Amino acid sequence: MVTLTIDGKEIQVPKGTTILDAAAKLGIIIPTLCWLKKVSTTGACRICIVDIAGVDRPMTACNTPVKEGISVTTTTPKLEETRKKTLELMLVNHPLDCPVCDAGGECNLQDACYSLKVDKNDYSAALERLPIRYDWKLLESDPNRCILCEKCVKVCREVVGREAIEAVDRGDNTIIDTVTRQNLDCDFCGNCIGACPTGTLISKPFKFKGRPWTFDVTSGVCAFCSSGCQIEYHAKNGRIERVTSADDGFNRGNLCINGRFGYAAFNSPDRLTSPLMKDDSGQLRKASWDQALGAAAARLKDAAAASQGGGIAGIGSPRVTSEESYLFQKFMRGALGSNNIDSEARLGYLPSQVLQWEMLGYSGGTYTMDAIEKATAVIVIGADLKAESAGFAYRVIQAATKNDAKLVLAGSRYTSMNKYANAFLHCSPGSEAWMVAGLNKAVLAKRPATAGDVTGFDALKSSLDAISFDRVSEITGISEAQFLETAALVCSGGCTAVIYGADLIRSADSRNAVAGTVDLALLTGAVTEAGGGIYPLDEKNNTQGMLDMGICPEYLPGFRTYGHAAAAFGSAWNATIPVTPGKDLFQIIDAIEAGQIKALYVMGNDPLHFMPNRTRVMKALQKLELLVVQDVFMTDTAKLAHVVLPAAIGAEKSGSFTSADNRVQSFKAAVVPAGESRSDADILIALHALVASETAHGQNSLDVLHHEIAALTGLYSEVCDQSGCHIGRIKNRTTKFTCVPLTPLAPLPATRPFALTIGPVLHHNGSMTSRSENNMLVAGEAYVEISSQDAASVGVAAGDLLKITSDAGSISLKARLSEQLHSGALFVPSHFRDAAVTTLTGSASFPQYVSLAKG
Amino acid sequence: MAQVVFSTWGGDIVDNRNVSGEPQAVSYRLPVAFDGQRPLRAFMGWDGIILFDKDVDVPAMTAEYMKRVQTLYCCGKCTPGKKGTKVLMDLFQNVLAGEATDADLDKVEDLAELLKNCKCTLCQSATVPVFDAVKHYRAEFQAYLNPACRTKAPAARYIHKITAPCMDKCPAHIDIPKYIEAIKNYQMDQSLATIRENMPLPAVCGRVCPHPCESACRRKNVDDAINIMVLKRTASDYERLHNVMPQQATKAKKDKSVGIVGAGPAGLAAAYYLALEGYPCTIYETLPEGYGGGMVAVGIPAYRMPRTILQRDIDIIQSVGVEIVYNCRVGTDITLAELRQKHAAVFIAPGAHTSKPMGVAGEEKGYKGFLTGGINFLRDAYLGKPTGMGKKVVVVGGGNTAIDCVRVALREGAEVSCLVYRRSRKEMPADVWEVDGADEEGVKFEFQVLPTKIIVNEKEEVTGVECVRMALGEPDASGRRRPEPMPGSEFIIECDTVIPAIGQDMDLSFIPADMGIDITKWNTVITKSLPLKDAAGKDLKDSMGNPLSRTLMTDCDGVFAGGDAEIGPLTVVACVGNAHRAATVIQRWLEEGQAYLSEQDIFDDVLTYLGVYDKDEQVPWLDSAERANQKEIHGCERAARGNYREVELGFSDNTAQAEAERCLRCYRMAMVVV
Repeated sequence: MVTLTIDGKEIQVPKGTTILDAAAKLGIIIPTLCWLKKVSTTGACRICIVDIAGVDRPMTACNTPVKEGISVTTTTPKLEETRKKTLELMLVNHPLDCPVCDAGGECNLQDACYSLKVDKNDYSAALERLPIRYDWKLLESDPNRCILCEKCVKVCREVVGREAIEAVDRGDNTIIDTVTRQNLDCDFCGNCIGACPTGTLISKPFKFKGRPWTFDVTSGVCAFCSSGCQIEYHAKNGRIERVTSADDGFNRGNLCINGRFGYAAFNSPDRLTSPLMKDDSGQLRKASWDQALGAAAARLKDAAAASQGGGIAGIGSPRVTSEESYLFQKFMRGALGSNNIDSEARLGYLPSQVLQWEMLGYSGGTYTMDAIEKATAVIVIGADLKAESAGFAYRVIQAATKNDAKLVLAGSRYTSMNKYANAFLHCSPGSEAWMVAGLNKAVLAKRPATAGDVTGFDALKSSLDAISFDRVSEITGISEAQFLETAALVCSGGCTAVIYGADLIRSADSRNAVAGTVDLALLTGAVTEAGGGIYPLDEKNNTQGMLDMGICPEYLPGFRTYGHAAAAFGSAWNATIPVTPGKDLFQIIDAIEAGQIKALYVMGNDPLHFMPNRTRVMKALQKLELLVVQDVFMTDTAKLAHVVLPAAIGAEKSGSFTSADNRVQSFKAAVVPAGESRSDADILIALHALVASETAHGQNSLDVLHHEIAALTGLYSEVCDQSGCHIGRIKNRTTKFTCVPLTPLAPLPATRPFALTIGPVLHHNGSMTSRSENNMLVAGEAYVEISSQDAASVGVAAGDLLKITSDAGSISLKARLSEQLHSGALFVPSHFRDAAVTTLTGSASFPQYVSLAKG
Repeated sequence: MAQVVFSTWGGDIVDNRNVSGEPQAVSYRLPVAFDGQRPLRAFMGWDGIILFDKDVDVPAMTAEYMKRVQTLYCCGKCTPGKKGTKVLMDLFQNVLAGEATDADLDKVEDLAELLKNCKCTLCQSATVPVFDAVKHYRAEFQAYLNPACRTKAPAARYIHKITAPCMDKCPAHIDIPKYIEAIKNYQMDQSLATIRENMPLPAVCGRVCPHPCESACRRKNVDDAINIMVLKRTASDYERLHNVMPQQATKAKKDKSVGIVGAGPAGLAAAYYLALEGYPCTIYETLPEGYGGGMVAVGIPAYRMPRTILQRDIDIIQSVGVEIVYNCRVGTDITLAELRQKHAAVFIAPGAHTSKPMGVAGEEKGYKGFLTGGINFLRDAYLGKPTGMGKKVVVVGGGNTAIDCVRVALREGAEVSCLVYRRSRKEMPADVWEVDGADEEGVKFEFQVLPTKIIVNEKEEVTGVECVRMALGEPDASGRRRPEPMPGSEFIIECDTVIPAIGQDMDLSFIPADMGIDITKWNTVITKSLPLKDAAGKDLKDSMGNPLSRTLMTDCDGVFAGGDAEIGPLTVVACVGNAHRAATVIQRWLEEGQAYLSEQDIFDDVLTYLGVYDKDEQVPWLDSAERANQKEIHGCERAARGNYREVELGFSDNTAQAEAERCLRCYRMAMVVV
């Protein structure tokens, strides 16, 4: 500790603390303009100058560390005068367009000038106006307003890892521009806008939408990916016009394009604003809520009655709140008597989490994701972090750049995180399970001891002994030496974090791949108290919360089994719950085809978009006697529905989301539902009341629901360890772990020449953002990524159409050439509805084998 | 003798403008003619203005200086710098246009005061000469405000140079503040790209450079120098540890090729910069493949410079279009004349691979155990050949090679490794940290001891060395106290091996006498130089006694020379800097048929002669961030037999980032009027 005096007050602070931070601890606020806590100091504005006894010049408080015994003075007439003159210099040729400047009213420069009473300017220079960048997408840059604080540059580089913008040129012409001075090509996360203290970098969609102080600002939780970022919705006249995030929140004000710009989907003209019912001619026509709810309830009730619930099924949503998921399964199980409930998590996340639960005793992340920043080694397997969950990417960047963590990436695809990687295990698509087994084997070779209280270690060891590196290398394309070098990195530090994503979870042999990943977390001590945790990723905001709430056929909420808990739930709900597990997603389709399931309730999802084999699913859905679709948009599935119920979007309701790292965060509605739409909760409560003879559901307020959920599931700890988390945290700190032996399956023969993977990409989240004009502006259509080498041999150039054919079907997409993709591998983004990419897939796992032809 | 008309340099006012009697005699370390021809009329820089010509238009010079600072070098990254120099620039432009007022001139002082709060030194230091000019030549400025009063000044040509104390002191003139700033900004790739602009062996000079830059670091005036060398290593390590191959744009391939003698630092550097310009380069190297790097390879042990890491630097140099022909001794396998025939230009950089004789009785007799020299010993050890070393080793010498020998002797299995040096420890030319490293590994030292005779047994095997103790007398020409033998202090050190390591020499026997290439009496190649002279008419020399500003072309057209063979045995970084210059001059010669130095080249030399660093400068700054030093492996096990693992461990990225934050970014601009 260092003792120093600031303005006559003594304080002790840790060595390395800046004078600015030390002063803040004393409650002394030193003015700043360029200082931003989350990035390295810049020292550009020179406003935070202070005097230090014995030092013959003022020092900047923001980047000067304290020293034992120094005496600091933060305010003197001379310092004030210098600050004032510095601001006057800053204002030389600064445009006085505050009346139309977006920052008007929330401008740090205005505030600084006001508080330092800068009302004249002794300095002047020739006026040369710099051109405004109107040509960028989503962002506009007016360099004339720039004070060169470099916050934007630093956030882009240090937080987002993009380095899209830089201070370029010299002298007074120095501006923030792209490095090449060409058009902006970046993540479009807008974190630079968030950091800009003036109106230099502004959001184009927000421009002229209103003065900042005229908006209603409501704290919320981002409704896109599984990072669970804390945001503020700025609403006016019932519309969300801007999303911001505060630097003092969990995610330090950092968002991605979806969080900052995806709100345009909420205002999309495609929103469903009134209930629809199919008329006799098969046309969907506007209906009243009473008509629609009455019809849906009556027909669901009839279908349930006719089959004792077995003829009815429901598909839930990773988008809706946990409370709504809970109400959905309560309605399905309690009111309709059906356990045929599933969701898109069946395609990968759910089975992976059931397995993780078996091995660790919990699903989802071990710690809140900030623990990743303190890791000394981070292993990311089968994930495109920024595409799946940007919040995790930002944490990994912090670990790699500011905590000297060794970063290991492993997977079949090169991603934007590769620039930080110390090792990249680039496996051939589909060989993920073998790669993970190889890495386990290498780690065991480097560090043979077991980690903690782990059962099954010997079985794991002997299963790995039975696999040779030669075989692993043959299948994965990764050499033994690479595995061993990587293992050395993994074992180099004390605190390892393991992150795994869609390419692993949906890999060909996902069971061994996931088990191996959890084994790796056990071998490296990632899940111990001293570890950095294990984190499964999912693309959507509340997949974890949805599963916690029992949106699956095999478990009741809280992963409670029917045998143990059906009675308790039944008695709480005043209902009889069937005690046998229901049908899963695939079985539901089979049963529809077989005529066993005749009625389907689809809430907040589009099976035609996410289910493999679109043609087959389409036929099945068309066969249904009753299809009720509750959604915010007219999805392809909704077009087939008999009853369409318009639902509210994330910003329009209250409830909670559980992020992939098990943070439970509740929020209040920022705006009222669009048009006549209603929250899923309201719709479910109404349906439940209409179907169940007796309504114990009149008091389904959030508080009552939370109490019921907490009591029945036992999921939540009483103590919340994150601000903004109003319910608590999922209990997941177990200490009994089980290793699973690894017996990766022999790879299936490739039935066609190219191995196709479909997955998320930067600039989108699910299909939701394909309704956002903002996201579509920067990434507007599907494409197929192909290695340049393959493109040459197929004879296509970038932008040419490629016809992709699988056993299931065929689509055509524009080719995008890649230098990083393995030859023989293809990648197609999953987001674009028009592309109907599931036409190609025969199953949920990747790769899918396809043929290519020009055109 | 050039007369100083007026000067504020260093804060000392010399005003001979209106003296009637004897003008004040003062001289500065500047040539009287900038390039040996054009008289240097005025000099303007961070420490003031110096006028040698009374007719220099001071307001015009001042305006030009501020304009260049603002538009060419001000980084714009702090408010006083960005806006203050703009206001000043426009103010002086207004003066020249006759549109300013006298009150405007008063603002110069106010702004000079305000610019003391700049983030770095560039803009701040630029206000010094500007303020001096306005203060002492106010009447000339005022004359501009009233055009009628002004006499027309003769046309002037201005030449400027950006520098920094560290950059100037670095013989390769690496843009050190820039690469440090990139590390501070978490841009290791940018940092390394900047380093490579002047230093194609970053992994090497990040490890074994004697870092003269650090001796000229202004941060030293606050507390300790920035750890410039290890920051360079960090940038290079980062690239290697992230498996990145640098993107290096090479120009279109030219049809003229360059032949280079020796794959040492100079040969590699010249080849790299010529190859980037599109010239195919072939290096002819005596040693076998795998041993490129010259003295860095065979002269610097692997525990200081791991071979794979050196090889990586060489591989990257080769990747831009450099061919190395190994096992090819020029003069034996191919003649220099043949090379001259084969290539459009030839660069001679053979290094200094011969050991100097020790001057001790018996050394010429070929006794078993008396090795031919330190550099040969290190080379044999590096190549894995038998070294002829026994168990008890005495190394004679006080330089880095001697230290390398005693430390390598331990790793080669010596039971006793002893260094004998005739002066005291603190006078050793070896780097302090190298001596300390040897000490830690268990090397014995015998200081102030001079070997006088080799003792052998009947089989002519060395059994010891007779020595005499030395007393230190009066300082000699080098400033070190002259050691003198103490009569009657003779004693014998028992040993079975003696390794003389008192210095290296060049073997230039491959240069035929008939090619017209001159060689000095110190056995270095003579290259063409500019006739730079001081006010007293004396030739300006560099620190090695060579002419200050050399084109590096020999008297044989198209044959250039560099590295140790041209400078005299020096350092890796000196050879790289020298070879980089050679590459640019070779390019000019190939493209324009003339081997000449640019104004920027000359200015580099002029500034080096003047000196940019001032050890007496008061640098007001809070000394609250200590210098970071790299970790190393400790304990004598690190020198166990066969253990050549690297001793120094470099920085973690974050230690480097914090160290980079200490940099004061001491850029400054010099300008001359000719």
